[in-house]
Amino acid sequence: MTFKSVLCEQLAKSYVRRLRQPGLLGAVRGLFHTDEEVVPAVRELSFSIERGERVGLIGENGAGKSTTLKMLTGILMPTGGRLEVLGLDPWRQRRQLAARIGVVFGQRPQLLWDIPVRETFTLLKTMYRIESKLFEATYSEAVKRLELEPLLGVAVRKLSLGQRMRCDLAASLLHAPEIAFLDEPTIGLDVSVKEQVREFVVEMQRRFGTTLVLTTHDLKDITETCDRLLLLDRGMLLFDGSLRDFEKRFATERRILLELEKPAAEGTAAELTRALEPLGGVVVECRGHRVVVSYQRDGAAPALTQCLLSRLSVSDIVLEKADIDSMVASIYRRSATLESGAA
Amino acid sequence: MSAVSPWRGELRAQAALFVRAARTNFAYKPAMLLGMATVGLGYAVPMLVWKQIYAQPRVHLPVPASQLFPYLLLAAALNFCSSMGVEWRVGQRIRLGLIATDLLRPVDFQLTQLAQALADVWLNTVMVLPFVGLSYLLWGRAALPHDAVAFAGFCASSLLALLIQFAVAFIFVQTAFITLSNYGIFVARAALQLTFSGVSAPLALFPPLLRGVAQRLPFCHTIYTPVSIYLGSISGRALVEALAIQAAWALGLLVLGRALLRLSLRYLDIQGG
Repeated sequence: MTFKSVLCEQLAKSYVRRLRQPGLLGAVRGLFHTDEEVVPAVRELSFSIERGERVGLIGENGAGKSTTLKMLTGILMPTGGRLEVLGLDPWRQRRQLAARIGVVFGQRPQLLWDIPVRETFTLLKTMYRIESKLFEATYSEAVKRLELEPLLGVAVRKLSLGQRMRCDLAASLLHAPEIAFLDEPTIGLDVSVKEQVREFVVEMQRRFGTTLVLTTHDLKDITETCDRLLLLDRGMLLFDGSLRDFEKRFATERRILLELEKPAAEGTAAELTRALEPLGGVVVECRGHRVVVSYQRDGAAPALTQCLLSRLSVSDIVLEKADIDSMVASIYRRSATLESGAA
Repeated sequence: MSAVSPWRGELRAQAALFVRAARTNFAYKPAMLLGMATVGLGYAVPMLVWKQIYAQPRVHLPVPASQLFPYLLLAAALNFCSSMGVEWRVGQRIRLGLIATDLLRPVDFQLTQLAQALADVWLNTVMVLPFVGLSYLLWGRAALPHDAVAFAGFCASSLLALLIQFAVAFIFVQTAFITLSNYGIFVARAALQLTFSGVSAPLALFPPLLRGVAQRLPFCHTIYTPVSIYLGSISGRALVEALAIQAAWALGLLVLGRALLRLSLRYLDIQGG
């Protein structure tokens, strides 16, 4: 029988939030009566993930990423819908599932606080019943790639955030899990550690065919480790597809950046606007030595560039495509505008 | 995953956890020394109070001083040994959402907590041993087990007492899923334990109504029963009955704790990343 790594249909989770009244009197009143409101964190979420896929889950704060991950790992019970991970019901078969998955919560340390890192690793070997041969392989790979050797004898509480995160990541992958759920694994890390973490994740995924589900606010994590993107917004799925599809759909705006030999003369902006408009170009900036033109139409760049070069003395020219950060930011902005409009 | 039977695998994991937790406890040497000083104080103060009471003229208590003092020493020792950080540890993890990482382990959550609680007991036992030695110096034969059967019964009874103590704490800590605080839970459980376990006085000194209540609650089986067995106050058929009652309480409370955990996890609410 074959089954998908993750299958969720109409998945939903709501929280009950207690509304506390302000002040001392409010606190006393709260002893007898508390108002509550139901907050939907995840709404009718449907998607599936094949074995070996590398999926990035992104969304603004409160979009439902971590809640989704907690349901996928069996920590939280969904309030609606159907969910299967590796053919198991995560909440009902949590312990069976736990043996087959690896999880990193960037904001919640998993290592035992008071004992040296090495001992946590050997404890995990016993806990996950990892065969010695596999343990040797994953352990030595993690120690080498994440440069853990000097940290192995140090108590976890004495590690810096970056060191702890590297150890946390190694700990979660020691048993070569079938799926790795990584919730903001690079949060608070410096650029070089982030790079190390990404390289290690990719290498382990390639070596063991692990399915990867990653949430992050650093979109470089996604572009460097994932090939599929799920975009959540207020608990709903806004986009599900490959990074290429995402770019096709959202990277509509492109720019031509010009550096002029002499500062632009008065009236240049108006003249350029008139000339570029029929070609689909818009002058975004025309000041001093700099001119920026944006366009959306495919194939418009050659005509626009020709038009600009015939009118201006250009010392340098750059064609720029929107990066994933600005695409996502514009989606969030659009979504917020729609919401305020609806309100 | 290696081909070890699930139960053996679980036990191995829990044993490994116990060893690590015990080592962790011993790692905090200043806290350990402070703990030993507290044990000494916990021993000395009630002794002095009772000594004062017995020194009063025309005081006739149903328990003679020769029995009471060894009882109080052993009760204090057992009470200290069986102090477990269950409410503090689990309550804190529920409050901060760290329970999420515990639930991601392929091991039984309740057994994991028991392994850690037993590691606490191990540390406490080491700390209390010098004071038990001291009590023999003070009270001589009266502080020794009544006979070999009493000693064997005491060992079995103490083990069951630990299970009861753990199971009660585990049930109490479930309220942290709702209150998200562990302070009140600890205070409530500690107050009941102090009142009804017989640590402050043998049940024979309780007013009849309070004694009746105490005998119907599990707390007296954590201190009063094992110490009374040790001193020979409970023997013969009564000893077997007492052990059976303790076992029933332990089993019932552990099963109840398990059921409550399952229920609590339905309502577990961990917000934020």
